[in-house]
Amino acid sequence: MAFVKAGRAEEVPPGYTKLVRLAGRPVLLANWGGRVFAVGGVCPHQGKLLEGATVWDHVVDCPWHHFQFDVRTGQNLYPRNVYPRDLPHLEAQVRPLETYPVRVAEGEIWVDLG
Amino acid sequence: MGKVARQVVEQAGIDVNVLVDKLVRAAAAEFTTFYYYTILRVNSIGFDGEGLKEIIEDARIEDRNHYEALVPRIYELGGALPRDIRTFADMAACPDAYLPADPRDMKAMLNVLVEAERCAIRVYTDICNMTAGKDHRTYELSLAILNEEVEHESWFSEYLGEGPSGHFRRGAPGASPYVRRFMTADIG
Repeated sequence: MAFVKAGRAEEVPPGYTKLVRLAGRPVLLANWGGRVFAVGGVCPHQGKLLEGATVWDHVVDCPWHHFQFDVRTGQNLYPRNVYPRDLPHLEAQVRPLETYPVRVAEGEIWVDLG
Repeated sequence: MGKVARQVVEQAGIDVNVLVDKLVRAAAAEFTTFYYYTILRVNSIGFDGEGLKEIIEDARIEDRNHYEALVPRIYELGGALPRDIRTFADMAACPDAYLPADPRDMKAMLNVLVEAERCAIRVYTDICNMTAGKDHRTYELSLAILNEEVEHESWFSEYLGEGPSGHFRRGAPGASPYVRRFMTADIG
């Protein structure tokens, strides 16, 4: 799939996120330090949308239960760092978010859904 | 429910249903944390004498106090706790604070504790931000809880070697110096 338009750059200023639907898929746009990132818009914990998530220092914080993800890699940072490995059923909660390539051109955000 | 108590918050521009949802989630996080901290406390054997056990006990009891202090405000605003405790636990605003795979690993134990407190700080900062200058009673309550969560984080952070906390543990277990004025039942 080619890049699809996700919105205007001014809709996601630095330090903010915005949930959009692209080809029917929820995608979270996050701007940290002037760079826009795109990750899957559903938290793997309970399948809730990441609408209203905050971003700080490349970390997206889910507004529902404060699960945290690195927007660059999609990896869960918390609570994966403290979940015990001898409880493997918890692994599904801390799956990484999908990450998508982003291009910003002429004030427009484009996301490659792959 | 307090009819006018809810009305004035609505008139201040707050979506009371959203606020009540946040308060119920916060109460659920306190309740579940009280449970998990009980397990962490009984397993914190011999860490720094039993110093860590005593500090976990302070945080454990104060988290229970936070739950007790939040519940009246939820009902005043027209909210309610879920009838099913499983639903309540799943709503918790923070992840479960599980006992580490190796309960003898003090650093792993401390990481669980400090991350739980950091999550709580995020929860109450969010509620304070939402209610500041609008819902004075919820703001004051949330700020009082936030003060204690910040102290809890600093206690455990200090143990992890991240620098002095600037605080001393309570004179009596779980004394809740900030939240106790919101406790309408005896806190022991």
